[in-house]
This record gives sequence, structure tokens and C-alpha cells, in this order.
Amino acid sequence: MLLGIDVGGTHTDGVAVDTTAGAEVVASCKVPTRHDDLLFSVTGALEDLLGKVDRAKVRQLNLSTTLSTNAIVQGKTEDVGVIVSSGPGIDPHSFMICRDYHVIDGSIDHRGNEVRALSSRQLAEAVDACRGHGVRVFAAVSKFSTRNPRHENMIRRTVCQGREGGGCEHADFVTLGHRLGAALNFPRRVATAYYNCAVWRIYNEFATAVEKSLAAMGLGHVRVNMLKADGGTMPLPQSRSLPVQSIFSGPAASVMGIIALTDIFHDSIILDIGGTTTDIAVFADGAPLIEREGIHIGSHPTSVSALKVLSIGVGGDSAVTVSGGEVRVGPNRLGPPVCLGGERMALTDALNVTGGCAVGDVAASRRAVEELAGNSGLDAGDLARTAVDAAAKTIFQATRELVEEINSKPVYTIHELVEDKRVVPKKIYLMGGPAEAMKMPIFQRFQLSTEVPAHFGVANAIGAALTRTTWELELFADTQRHVLFIPSLSYRENVPSGYDLKDAKNDAVNQLIMHLDSMGVPLAAEDAQITHASSFNMVEGMDQVGRNIRVKCQVRPGVVATLGGR
Amino acid sequence: MLKANRKLGIIFFPAFDWAISPTHPERQERLLYTQDQLREEGIFDIEGVGEYKPDVAAEEDVERVHFCFPEVSAVATRSHLISAGGAMKAGDLVMTGERECAFAMVRPPGHHAMKVVHGSRGFCNINIEAVMIEHIREKYGHKRVAIVDTDCHHGDGTQDVYWHDPDTLFISIHQDGRTLYPGSGFPNELGGPNARGRTLNIPLPPNTSDEGFLMAIERVVLPILEDFKPDLVINSAGQDNHFTDPITNMNFSAQGYARLSEMIHPDIAVLEGGYSIQGALPYVNLGLCLSMAGVDYSHIREPNYNPEQIRQDKRTGEYIEELCRQLPALYFNPPPLKPGGDPRLGVISGDKYLRNRQIYYDTDGISETQQESVHLCKKCRGLRKVETRADSGPLCLGVEVPPDACPDCRARGYQLVEEAQLKGSNYRYVQFINRLDKEYLRFGF
Repeated sequence: MLLGIDVGGTHTDGVAVDTTAGAEVVASCKVPTRHDDLLFSVTGALEDLLGKVDRAKVRQLNLSTTLSTNAIVQGKTEDVGVIVSSGPGIDPHSFMICRDYHVIDGSIDHRGNEVRALSSRQLAEAVDACRGHGVRVFAAVSKFSTRNPRHENMIRRTVCQGREGGGCEHADFVTLGHRLGAALNFPRRVATAYYNCAVWRIYNEFATAVEKSLAAMGLGHVRVNMLKADGGTMPLPQSRSLPVQSIFSGPAASVMGIIALTDIFHDSIILDIGGTTTDIAVFADGAPLIEREGIHIGSHPTSVSALKVLSIGVGGDSAVTVSGGEVRVGPNRLGPPVCLGGERMALTDALNVTGGCAVGDVAASRRAVEELAGNSGLDAGDLARTAVDAAAKTIFQATRELVEEINSKPVYTIHELVEDKRVVPKKIYLMGGPAEAMKMPIFQRFQLSTEVPAHFGVANAIGAALTRTTWELELFADTQRHVLFIPSLSYRENVPSGYDLKDAKNDAVNQLIMHLDSMGVPLAAEDAQITHASSFNMVEGMDQVGRNIRVKCQVRPGVVATLGGR
Repeated sequence: MLKANRKLGIIFFPAFDWAISPTHPERQERLLYTQDQLREEGIFDIEGVGEYKPDVAAEEDVERVHFCFPEVSAVATRSHLISAGGAMKAGDLVMTGERECAFAMVRPPGHHAMKVVHGSRGFCNINIEAVMIEHIREKYGHKRVAIVDTDCHHGDGTQDVYWHDPDTLFISIHQDGRTLYPGSGFPNELGGPNARGRTLNIPLPPNTSDEGFLMAIERVVLPILEDFKPDLVINSAGQDNHFTDPITNMNFSAQGYARLSEMIHPDIAVLEGGYSIQGALPYVNLGLCLSMAGVDYSHIREPNYNPEQIRQDKRTGEYIEELCRQLPALYFNPPPLKPGGDPRLGVISGDKYLRNRQIYYDTDGISETQQESVHLCKKCRGLRKVETRADSGPLCLGVEVPPDACPDCRARGYQLVEEAQLKGSNYRYVQFINRLDKEYLRFGF
């Protein structure tokens, strides 16, 4: 039995899926989300589910929460000491992300050669200044640390006063930039390391509380995984040092839900129509697209990878307004729809009048629509139809722009880069509350086959329950310098001159399998997927002096089972 | 968050699968470290800086510019067409207003490719700037264009393509041709009779450093740009003037390149040569991108940069100062073609301009024999005719009707092409470029 809980903006959805024969949803629930007490929402959903299934059979709980996101949005983060060394290039002060931001002289070049040693005097001063401000968490980031982590390691040693491992008196946590991923992007590494530190404490407190609650419910044996924004999960113990990865996992849960619920193999559009927003995701050849480099948190680009999802302000609760004869839906939400006790006509009211749905007090919806129509000199039926169509049109236009944007750049799916691919959507999948009601208006706009899958109301929780544990690593080898480096594992090894691409591919896959095994996740070699492999001959003068090898390897994101006997 | 003062589009096409030969300077590895540096700097995250995919140039885009013998597909690979397409994309970004400026960081390069193409010269097969410029002119209307070629090697190909075009100003600043390939680019190369002074060469002595380059830009290039009033300024942004370049002898720096770019303020930059792939390109390309986008570049510095060690000596400085005194006059008051002059630069014979040349394709080892004639017309820039032969291959004919052709020159062009086919003449291949009617034809196979 696998449990999935998705803590959303309005509701917390939960499901229990039995995977003994195929996959079958045996219980589901929807409880209101309490933003001031997410643990309460999680335990509330858990108790509901456990009332319907045998708790002894529960093996795993996958959790998607808004905890880190909310902490950042609400400014409930902790002060971080960010210490960077950057070398030549763009002025590193441009990336000052917080008060305790210190730039230390020192430079590593694009090959990973140390050009200039780190100034230990400046470093000691910076650490002292942070301590003076009572800072307990630190981010150490240097340019090209994913080629050579020497400076980041030295910053950590200084912060911890030379102590390795856990015994760090003066800091509770240090994030090393290269551990966050191998991508080359210094400003993103700075921002990601900062946020990883900023939510570290609040996340770890939550993780501990979840573990305690589970133990109290007699679920101490259950494996807990946290959802990431890229359509994978990470085991709770590992997530404690990478809390930033748990951010924006909600849309990923929905997308993975579609994968579990449908036979998707075309270029498709996924529309998750919620209360205030519609999330638009795009699939290429049946695989969801990812943000190429990572999401923005606040105004800062980061290296946190995520599925590509566009949120627009159209949902069931979106207010309907008329100005200058033009009917608009959203982007604001001014309370619930009138049929559910609100005061302002919303999209759901219009759908109630057109007969698309019958939510709450349909008569109240009719009165609200008639009132707004009267004020604007319109026929009530026309207004409702126009409003529904306006919502469909807004979604249509945003989708078209998103697809155009995707087509102007190289396309990256969760599986790999798809070269020279133009995404031409052939099918639409609708989910979320108003999905059924919006089906025909969306179909009329897009003129594409439109499907509302079963369980569309809790598809997100199903996605959460069935999402696999994923991991990605990048191996970098330079046979002239005789070095192999896997940044995310901080793994370094010497390699001989004859080391080649084939060796590198083998090593990358082996390291991935070993790492997942250490997390308690068995992985078959064929599930490790190489997404990038290149080897460049390095030439000096007229002689080949070595090879510059890059291999990227990942566990193919996906679901452990699909529903409907497939 | 950093923000660009000028919206910049970058087209990055490193052609990681294409090389002239495994250890050739023009090899797969060339832009690898540049890519690493740009990514690590997070340049594409700067607000106002966008990355774009290159287009692929069609055969017609090439035939609008070049006489390719025997045909486009025989002289240009897909990499060449994408490289040219990358430059075209840069042009489109700027012309449509999507970006204020654009940098096509593409390879293979193109500025040694001349009007006639039989193969590869100086690592170049098709002239990617010219393909871009003529694409712009055909799509967005006729433009006055200034090309400032800052590659260390004379841009002899671009010079040749625009030798007769009074609406294209070509200025090449390079290491003196007496000391470096291709051995041309002297001040007496000033363009054909209808475009005198529209070609200007600034040959700088070996070991010229930042001061010398920037002096030439300030005293020669800028006043001429000011006078010419181009609609578009294009920088053929070769980077082999760098003090670490393995195949040249100059002492220019990344800071110098960025400053140079800031001064000439190009609308479009197109990467040309530059073969110090670790020590120069990552820093120079970064400098150019930041400079074009109007972002502070003062923190860029090569690992082994020592300005005192590479500073030009006094004699070099004085020589350049003298050049700067003399060169502007060649644009402002160009001397007419004199009878009895160098036949390689052309002579006047009756109502025709004639030029006889031997052109060597160093990369492919081809020797071309070429005779060019331009009808001296008072109403337009005149019909261009080229007879050419590669080694002992068949004779080929190229005929070009210019965009401003008068009815007589146009008729003459059609007549030439007709005669070349009908009378069983000696021509094996004939290519006809009619810019006036946008008609591009080829015969003979």
C-alpha cells in the first residue's frame, strides 16, 4: 500500500493506492489546508486514510508540501552567511542575496585549475562578521566549484574551524555549492545554496515532526519520501540536507498523476484548473518538459530543476468582470463563487448558469449573473457563455504562448534533450475541480481531443503516491589533469590517460546505482539513463593532450505503477 | 538581479560535431570552454539577454551572395549553413526589434570566403556576414551597412564580396599582411570604381596592444562611421588579436575587445577567428557579450594577463599614430583608380573595370584563376561578371545584376547568361544572381 499526500493551496489531498495487483485507488480524502500548521493538514489526511485502510499494509508515504515555498514567500527564513569566491567575470557583488554576503579573493578557471588561492585572511574576517550577526547556517560557493571544489571545502573548514563531519561548533549547517548539482551557473548556485540554508531549519523541524507523528500512529516502519519539483522523490533522511529540492512540488504531483492515470504518448497539454489558478504543463512525445536550468525563487534564478509549468490566474473562483463591454475572467480571486457563499460572480457561477456544472446553490449563481448582466446591459445567458468562453480563451492564449516559447528553444523532457523537436499538441488532459465543466469550452477553443481522466479531483495525490525516487549525477573527467569528479557526490578519483567515454559512462552508472543503494533504493542498471555524453579531444599545439569528458546520468523519472490495469 | 541596458540576443552554435581535422585549430573543442564560461557566469539569466537557436541558411540564401561552383551543396556542409543561419537569426532579431543587438557566436567562420567559392580558404567556406546582410536587405529593404572586421586576419573575403558596393562600408583592422595570412589588406585596397573608399584597411604592426587598437578605432573608424551614417553596424568579431593566440602575433586583451565593442557599438556581432580556446575565447566572448548588453565588464581578466608585459613599444605606437593620420583621407577623399596600377586591384579598360587574380584556397589546396569585369555604368553600380576556373577544372561563369540595376545592365545580364548557354560556349557551370528581380539561377548540370 502506497500513500500519497499533496498539501495544496486550498486543499490537502490524500490517496491510498494498493499495488498488489496493478494499481488501484482504495481510499482518498480531501481536507482543508491550514497554512499555519501544515503538520496538522498532513496528519489530518493521514488519519482519514488510515480510517479506510489497514495500516499494517502501508509501506510508503510520499509527501508533497508547500512548507519550503511558504517559508520563503512569508519571509520565515533564517539568516544565512553566504561566502563566495568568484575570480574574473561578472562582478560577484551583483549576486548579493542577503546581508551576510562576503566575496573572498580567489579564482578557479573553467578547467578546474586554481588560478589564485583563496585569501585565508579575508575568509576568517568574513566568518567572524557572520558569527557577529549570530548566523548559524552557511553557504559556501565558488565559481567553477563543480570542476574543482577546493575553495568551497576550504570555506567549510574555516567555518567549522577545521573540523570535518558533524562536529561543527560554530555552525549548524553548511551548504556546499557543488553538492547541489553539477550545472555550471555560479549565480544560480549562489541563490540555490542560500535558499537551501534559509529553509534548512524549518524543514528539518517539520521532517522530525512528521517522523514522530508517524511513529505515534504506528507507522514507524513506513518509508517516507518527499516530492521534488522535477517529478521525482527523495527519501526523507537525504532530503534533510537538500530541503530546497522540496520547493514547488505541487505541480509535479499533478503531472505525475496524469502519467499514472492515462496512456499519454503524444505531444499534449495538461491543464490543472484549480480554484485560483490554472497550471499548464506540456508533454513532448508523452514526456513532461522540464525547466531547462531551474526555477526562479522570488526573483532569483536557481538550479532547482522542475517540470515546466505555467500558472495563470484563471480558476473556478476567478472573478468575472465587465468593462467597456469586454468580459474578463481573473486574474483576481475575490472570495469564493456566489454559489458557495461568495459575493462576487466567479467562473463557477457562470458554469452553473451555462449548465456546465451544478456546484452549490445554482439559483444564487443565476441571481449573481443576472445582476452583473443587468448592470452591464447584457443578457444573462450571453454573459455566462461569454465568461466561460473568455476563460477558455485566456487559457488557450497562454498555452499557445507557452508552446511558442518552448519551440523557440531546445526542448528538454524529463528523459532527455529532444533536438530539433517542435511541440505540436494533439491532445488535452484536464484535471482539477472545474475540469468536467470546462471540458467542452476548452475543446471548442483548442479543437483538440480533450480528456478528463478518472479520479481527476485527486490526480495530484495519486501522482505523489506513485512517483519514483530519482537522482541525477554528472561526471566530469579531464584526462590531462588525470581527474574525475562527480560534484553532487563530492566524489573525486584519479584516472589514467587512457580513460575514455565508455569508462566514464560505466562509472557514472555505477556511482548512480551505488548512491541510490546507499539511500535504500534498489536500481537496475537499465533504469539508469545516460542523458548526455560527450568527449572532446583537447589539443595543444598539434598534439592531443587529453580528453575532456562529460557524462550525465539519471534515474528516469516516472511512476512505479499505472492505474486501470495498464 | 542584473539587467542589460541593451537587449541582447545570443545565438550560440558551437558545432560540437564538426572539425576541419582532429588537431586543426577549427575543431570541436573550440567553443567548449567559452560555453562553460558563459554558462558559469549565468549570462543567459541576465534580464534582457536571451539565447536563441540558429536558423539554417537555405541554398538561396547562399546563392544570393556567392557564385558557388559547382554548387552550394558541394562547398558548404550543414554546419556551414547553420553557422550562416545563426548570423541570419541575429539579423532577424535586430531587424524585427525583438532585440536591440545580437551576437552570433557560431562556427565555422566566414570572412575569408570571397564572391566566388570553390572550396575552403582560411577555414571559411561561405561568408556568413554577407549571407546575413543580403538576407536582411532582401527581407527588410535596402540598408546602408558598415562592417568593422576586428579579426587579426584581413577579411579578404568580405572585402571581395563588397568590393563594388557603395552602400556597404567595409573596414578591416588586422595584423599587417606582410606578416600574416592572407597577405593582403593594405591601404591601397579601396574598392571598385563605383565604391572607392568604401573599403578601408587598417594594417597594424605585430605586438600592437590595447592602446594601439583603441587609437585606431577612435581616430580612424569612429569618424568614418560617423560620416557614413550606416543603418546597421556589424562587427566581424574575430578574437585572434589576443595576446595568447597561437597563430598570430598581437597583444590585444579581453578588456580591450570589450572596450572596442563598446566604442563601435555594433548592432550585430558575428564570431570569426580566435584560436586561443582556453586562454582567450572564454574571456573575450564574455567581454563582448557584457559590453554589447551594456553590463559592467570591468571584472573580466585573463588568468595570465599582465598589461606591462604585453604593452606595445614606443616605435609601434608612433607607427600607428602615423597610420591614423593618413588613413582617414582614403575614405574621405579616395584617390581614383590609376592607369598602370596593380592589375590585382583592377584596371579600367574602355567601359569596363577588369581584375585578374590568382586566388589560393589554403585549407583545400585549390588554385583559382579568375577574371572579373564590371560594366562601368552611370545609372547603376554596373553588371558584374566573373569567369573562374579552379585548378585545371572547367571554366565557370558568374553574372550578377545589382539591386539598383538600370534596365540596360539588367538586359545585358540576361543576354550574357543566354549566350553562355546557347552558343555552346566554354562554360561548364553558369550562375546568375539577379538582385533586382530576386532571381537566382544556375545552369550546367
